[in-house]
Amino acid sequence: MHILRIKQIRVGTILLLLLGLLSIGPLALPETAAAQTTPTIGIACTYGPSFTLDAKSGYILLADGNTMYMWSYAPSGGGFQYPGPVLCVNEGDTVTVVLNNTLNEATSIIFPGQENVLANGAPAQPQFDGGGAVTSLTDVAAAGGGSMTYSFVASKPGTYIYESGTSPEKQVRMGLAGVLIVRPALGAAYAYDRADSQFMPDEEFLVLLSEIDPYQHQAAEQNKPFDLTKYHVHYWLVNGRTFPDTIADNFASYLPTQPYGALARVHPYDKYLPDGTLNPTPQHAYPGLARYVNVGFEEVSFHPHGNNGAVIARDGAPLEATAGGADLSFEKFAINIGPGQTWDVLFKWYDAENYSEANPVTVTIPDVANQTLGMFWGGSPYLGQMGPLPPGASTLNQCGEYYIISHNHALFQLDAWGLTMAGQITYMRVDPPLPNDCP
Amino acid sequence: MRNSISRRTLLKLAGSGFLAAAGASVLPRFMGRKLLQPAEVAFAQTTTPDLYFAGTDGWIAMPPSPNIGFYFPDDLAPANFNTYIFGFRNVTGLDATQIGQQKMKAQHSAPMFWVDEYTGANEFHMQLTNLGLQMRPDLTDSHTLHWHGFRNVIPFFDGEPTGSISVPVGRNFTYVFRPRDPGTYMYHCHVEDVEHVHMGMTGPVFVRPAQNGNTSLYASGKFAYNDGDGSTGYDREFAMFLSEVWAEAHWCDSHIQLPDWSDYKADFSLLNGRAYPDTLAPNAPIDAAASHHALSVERDAGGDLVAPAGRPDLQYQPLSALVTCLPNERVLLRFSNLGFREAAMALAGIKMRVIGRDATMMRGLGSTGLRNGADTSYETNTVLIGPGESYDVLFIAPDFSGGSGSSGQGYDSYVLYNRRLTQVSNLDASTFGGQRTEVRVYPGGLAAQQYPNDLGV
Repeated sequence: MHILRIKQIRVGTILLLLLGLLSIGPLALPETAAAQTTPTIGIACTYGPSFTLDAKSGYILLADGNTMYMWSYAPSGGGFQYPGPVLCVNEGDTVTVVLNNTLNEATSIIFPGQENVLANGAPAQPQFDGGGAVTSLTDVAAAGGGSMTYSFVASKPGTYIYESGTSPEKQVRMGLAGVLIVRPALGAAYAYDRADSQFMPDEEFLVLLSEIDPYQHQAAEQNKPFDLTKYHVHYWLVNGRTFPDTIADNFASYLPTQPYGALARVHPYDKYLPDGTLNPTPQHAYPGLARYVNVGFEEVSFHPHGNNGAVIARDGAPLEATAGGADLSFEKFAINIGPGQTWDVLFKWYDAENYSEANPVTVTIPDVANQTLGMFWGGSPYLGQMGPLPPGASTLNQCGEYYIISHNHALFQLDAWGLTMAGQITYMRVDPPLPNDCP
Repeated sequence: MRNSISRRTLLKLAGSGFLAAAGASVLPRFMGRKLLQPAEVAFAQTTTPDLYFAGTDGWIAMPPSPNIGFYFPDDLAPANFNTYIFGFRNVTGLDATQIGQQKMKAQHSAPMFWVDEYTGANEFHMQLTNLGLQMRPDLTDSHTLHWHGFRNVIPFFDGEPTGSISVPVGRNFTYVFRPRDPGTYMYHCHVEDVEHVHMGMTGPVFVRPAQNGNTSLYASGKFAYNDGDGSTGYDREFAMFLSEVWAEAHWCDSHIQLPDWSDYKADFSLLNGRAYPDTLAPNAPIDAAASHHALSVERDAGGDLVAPAGRPDLQYQPLSALVTCLPNERVLLRFSNLGFREAAMALAGIKMRVIGRDATMMRGLGSTGLRNGADTSYETNTVLIGPGESYDVLFIAPDFSGGSGSSGQGYDSYVLYNRRLTQVSNLDASTFGGQRTEVRVYPGGLAAQQYPNDLGV
């Protein structure tokens, strides 16, 4: 159908741009207060433990061509970005976050899951008006230039949210939310202080889910009231982007305010050989880690194709028996994460049947004239192989890699206000085992 | 896709004058039968597939009198029907002429199928063809079969069209599965998936464990998982497949329009493709002997489905959602949800035990990594099932109350319904509709199940 054709062209353009970026190396980025890593794929941490964030307004780009007015937290002195920076700290760190408010209303940050948070050195606490009604879940930075310093000891490893505690029904929806990652004392290759939470450090990914009602954002931009009973989402985002932008690189130059990509690029899990025995020379003997975070207002049922992720923790709490610590993780093919929740999911992919040209699929492959080709299809069923394509056909496949989709299964939420296949979709790219011919 | 007239192009060409002039009778002529006649295509087929499915369009019957307005009932619908769908049909065993005649005879939910766990020799082959869409000759959409939840499948057999290939109109493709993980799954076409899924190309599938046949662990020898202790053994099994119908989207597809999917709302909530009270109607006549891997609904000489007795309107909704059982039997409900909203399935008066979720037994990882750890199954009255989730639920049928039963009809009735009560509405004056059915406990007289959802009466 026509919409897919349009999207194919768009994804093609993006991938070409992406390849261009890869060839010239990572973009130079403006200096920010805290050090930020700039990998093209995977989680781009902003390292602390001290951070200075500006609450500010800006614009993002959506798949249907719309531009959306947003509020977000941005590293102080830098440009606008959505979502807020991924704050990475270590277990035991004393974390300090200075919030400068450039918005025209009071705002704040709460840190769900953190204990004994201080605000300007005193215990952070809800704010009340003279009549005893709560006006904010925590101490605020005043409108128009106010500031507030929050601090806490990151006592437990895990994936956490930080978000506005002031008018969250407006401010969080406007975009004032981000992710805090606390790395365990055991090391950065572990999700928790459990040996069985080890993952491949270069296969760590963020799946941050959010949503937009464009009319609420328009009202905020025009400084008009918005009737919350009319809340109606038209955009669903991963890492602050709509598909196909979700699979573009981190810091793609044409998405200047949406720095975080969501493409998961992995290699096959090879702890075991096809016969089930231990691989003496594994390259990827541990799974990848997907940190799912829902800062939206609806439950999302996210479906990664091709593997059942092992849910090892929720809201920063490992799934283990209270006594003895027995593993109570569970496998799911639908990651149904509620509003405000975080789920940590270890995932791996391998070809269970070890198909190759030497061990081919057991059915006749239709002639290319009898196939409809996907834009990522390289012409061969086998990992690392390219195959014949019809005259004039093109592919975005580079080296026989696999592309395996991951998406919200409330499928109408794959939509950008009427444009289908443009919402909460991303992909896992499986590269052939090393060495390979991939760029 | 590359060679097709796009929908947008057609809309430009056609314009509103075409739409005003064209009714159902005009569309098939416009389409040109030659282009889409699959019987004229030579198939290269090396082995006989275990199952052969076809994707096409068709018509089904939703409750007749909801207050939806403009979009319902569909003014193009033939007699007995009111809702346009895309769907699958099981065409295993039909000849090429019969298969060609199944165009615009899709069913919903899609044919349930099941496979034994792969143990080295029982590779499963599913052939898929595409009969085209009779109402929408402009839409030369391809189809695929995506086995939702299948682990570590290569993209070639995953059915996600972007990273793989899909099946053009009149062509064939054979999917190969070696199912290594027992449990309840679902399948659907993944092309244009919001549209093809919502339009009805969705159904349940499950994998039977290698432990089956072990009568020392449980007398029936039938299990949901390789539990090692009989805890997932059952006497009867029933698929409970959840889906939805947004009347506007279905109307749009039959009228060459596009809905704004971000305005989605479900008008009808379905169990096994039917809305209550149709959920209680019996299965279409089933050819038990032919039902090796999928329910084989009896077919007429032309290959078309034989309707449930007395219900010509349910001809393309063959699967009942009624549950029948005897006292103290263990009953397995295999829930899966390809609607777009979470459901809250409640069973009034009988505790349910959740023994599996997303084709994973409710056990901790355990010492060997084989899910033999702590028992994490739990009892509940209500099972929350999100979009794309599956649950395996066991209950033990209560004693029979005596006499002619609580229903006065010779059985006790327990209501199984979606506790999101907005989803047990047919948008009309009736008290209940939608995702609601009954568990009927008989004092005796039920035959053993020959196939899943066999009512035994």
